[in-house]
Amino acid sequence: MFLKRYIPIGIVAFFGSLTLFGWFIDNESVEAFVNDDATQWYDIIASFAIFLGALNLLKLQFLKVLKRQSGWQYSVVAIASFFFAFTIGFFMKGAFFVGEEVYFTQGAAEQAILASGSAETVKAVEWGAHISTEGGLFKWMFDNIFTPLSATMFALLAFYVASASYRAFRARNFEATLLLLAGIIIMLGRVPVGSLITPWMVMYLLVFVGTIFMANYFKDRKIIFGSFVIGLLGVTALGISMDWNPTEPAIFFLPSLQEWIYTVPNLAGARAIMIGIGLGIIVTSLRYIFGLEKSYIGDQ
Amino acid sequence: MRYLEDMILKLGSVDRRYIFLLIGLAVLIPLLRPIDLPIRTTPTTEKVYNAIAEIPANSKVLMSFDYGPSTKPEIHPMTLGVMRQLLREDHQIYITCLWPDGLYMALDALEEINQEFELVEYEDYVLLGFRPGNEAIVKGLASDLRKVYTVDYKQTMLADIPMMDGINNLKDFQFIFTGSAGYPGTFEWVQYGGDPTGVPLSSGTTSIQVNEVMPYVQSGQVRGILAGMPGAAEYEKLIGTPGIAIQGMAAQSFAHLVIVLFIVLGNLAYFITERRERKY
Amino acid sequence: MAFSTIFGAWIAAFLTLGILSYLYRDNPFYKIAEHVFVGVSAAYWAATFYWTQIYPNLFGRLFPKDGPLSFIAEVDFNHDFNILYLFPLLLGIMMLLSIFKQFNWMARWGIAYTVGIAAGLKAYGYLSSNVLSQISASAVDIFGGSLPIFSMSGDSVFNNIVILVGTISALMYFYFSREQTGSYGKFTRLGIYFLMISFGASFGFAVMGRISLLIGRFNDLILFSSPDYNYGTYWMMLFIVLILGFWSFQNPEKKEG
Repeated sequence: MFLKRYIPIGIVAFFGSLTLFGWFIDNESVEAFVNDDATQWYDIIASFAIFLGALNLLKLQFLKVLKRQSGWQYSVVAIASFFFAFTIGFFMKGAFFVGEEVYFTQGAAEQAILASGSAETVKAVEWGAHISTEGGLFKWMFDNIFTPLSATMFALLAFYVASASYRAFRARNFEATLLLLAGIIIMLGRVPVGSLITPWMVMYLLVFVGTIFMANYFKDRKIIFGSFVIGLLGVTALGISMDWNPTEPAIFFLPSLQEWIYTVPNLAGARAIMIGIGLGIIVTSLRYIFGLEKSYIGDQ
Repeated sequence: MRYLEDMILKLGSVDRRYIFLLIGLAVLIPLLRPIDLPIRTTPTTEKVYNAIAEIPANSKVLMSFDYGPSTKPEIHPMTLGVMRQLLREDHQIYITCLWPDGLYMALDALEEINQEFELVEYEDYVLLGFRPGNEAIVKGLASDLRKVYTVDYKQTMLADIPMMDGINNLKDFQFIFTGSAGYPGTFEWVQYGGDPTGVPLSSGTTSIQVNEVMPYVQSGQVRGILAGMPGAAEYEKLIGTPGIAIQGMAAQSFAHLVIVLFIVLGNLAYFITERRERKY
Repeated sequence: MAFSTIFGAWIAAFLTLGILSYLYRDNPFYKIAEHVFVGVSAAYWAATFYWTQIYPNLFGRLFPKDGPLSFIAEVDFNHDFNILYLFPLLLGIMMLLSIFKQFNWMARWGIAYTVGIAAGLKAYGYLSSNVLSQISASAVDIFGGSLPIFSMSGDSVFNNIVILVGTISALMYFYFSREQTGSYGKFTRLGIYFLMISFGASFGFAVMGRISLLIGRFNDLILFSSPDYNYGTYWMMLFIVLILGFWSFQNPEKKEG
């Protein structure tokens, strides 16, 4: 109980308080510890956590294979891929220089020297530098295996967001309509096609939509038709008087309207969310430091 | 009219794979058949450009590559553009990475820029590399850079790099720029880097993160922001070097038009269904 | 172009198309690509974190050149020996031992340390930059200087008022300790409208971001379809489409309902 519960709580309280008050204490050794060593320990422990994650992954995949659970063949692929990348990262330098050229293996580098007949020698990179050497094996793995997988996983979301837009986003009430309108204006106003849509096109569209909306409330077709014609004539008259300016009136020009929405009402909402989240994080951090929040040891 | 309504309702229940196909084509076709569209710059992008233009001559600038391959299409054009603007003014660039992938993004960027500027390592730039620790790294850099980094990415001792002379913490830089895709990124640079030290800070972020960072821009804690690929395209226009961001704008525009069309059609189908249900 | 470059491009095209094949339906190509991703990324992260942090900053401080433990190993990164770094080493080893069920609790010490440090860092960072600075940025002189009454971009009296009212009303919406009725309810309703506009803008930006990522992938596939890469994209697409077609024929999709 002491080791499993009270020591972890004590660690959080001690180091949390030290880090928090370290911002305000004007003592060289405390500042040096908090700013440098404490943060270095944080980084080191985070690195070990990554290793723990990798070990857990291997454990789960091995168990799946041993128990022949559904899809165990794919777990073999995962384990093989892991050991492939692990070997490249820890047991192979993968970067041997002959002048400016880089080779994956010492053998290949020596063969290149023999083939060219030059007097160059093979220079292997240092351990540690091998993971960041341009042209090396680790970078090759990053460019051709990790990058396409990582990038494409995220790119898939583009399709799902399009599907969701079509099937799920409905203007059910005023708030939802506001959300959709803001989203549409931002989407069109932020890209070049937005500046090709003149304010006059938008105004004609509004007249058209307004007439459809009116049709729900007025049964008299003369009123509806009359309003429609007046709207069209009004917009046309205004357009002629302003020489069909492609960017005025600015309130109907999508890029300008988008800019206003982005920097004024949107900012107000985003700021409120930021302040709210900030207050929440401060309170939660203090709860952790004071030992009131113990979810990290599995307590409720 | 009823026929039109029925058609819209039918479209509303189409297999989602057709939607995927339409979106795929909306993006692919403009990439295969490029179209030039006018790029209009926005004030937030111009703020970044002006902030960098106002840096005193021969300054030392810290660039942080806080993104990976999944967000490279958005942020890489920004970092390339910023490096171009800095190198044209003969500023020295110091590169750090809060993301492990950021190191490779930095290597790719340097390789591409090298073709234009013939960079000399340790004279024009120093690539410090990646260190894990998120905000703890930024805090460490603000306090004592040499405790966080003793060697650069090639394992060369910082003490052996003349360009590192006099660089001990963030206050020794005249400007900070971060290309940020999430956590850690702009937030951490503002909270532990820019605000405590007062060093001017600008940022380029993914479109998703823009709204979160906007309050910092308005308050002046971040000097302007490059907002996603459109922001990168605007910046490429400002520096006069078109790149992949401008090339992607046609595809971006058409995809947005298609999605807006989907939203409108989907809502039309919804309203028609609602009206019919009310009648019956 | 070097063989490794072309071979790498073919692998990249195969893996990209494998992931994209999920749009048709869940299939073996997608599953293979997904499991390769899982395996490779775990090892990639382990290698990166080890060589950039544990090796230079931990071992470099425990086993420096000419240090008291240099008989075990020498890791020269210009650090001095620092015995205090045995603490993170101990916590790290305990973390690794927690993979065994009987030592599960050992990870708590390392987690507790990271939670403590993060709590201390974040409390101050968020208070200073996210709360105090933002409040002071909202409390501007609304009619300050020679501001215009209204402008579509940039400062204006109207814009400042909207930002102030919007921020306060949206913040008040999050105060749930009081019932939101009457005039107070109407004011918080206004706050909801501002929040909805903000969420709508976030949605618009989210769509923008996702499409940008897709553009990046398509750019790479287009590049790998060039003669320089021996039309890698086309060959991989043909391979996947043929095998997937045959597989779909053998495993017809179950229709719902």
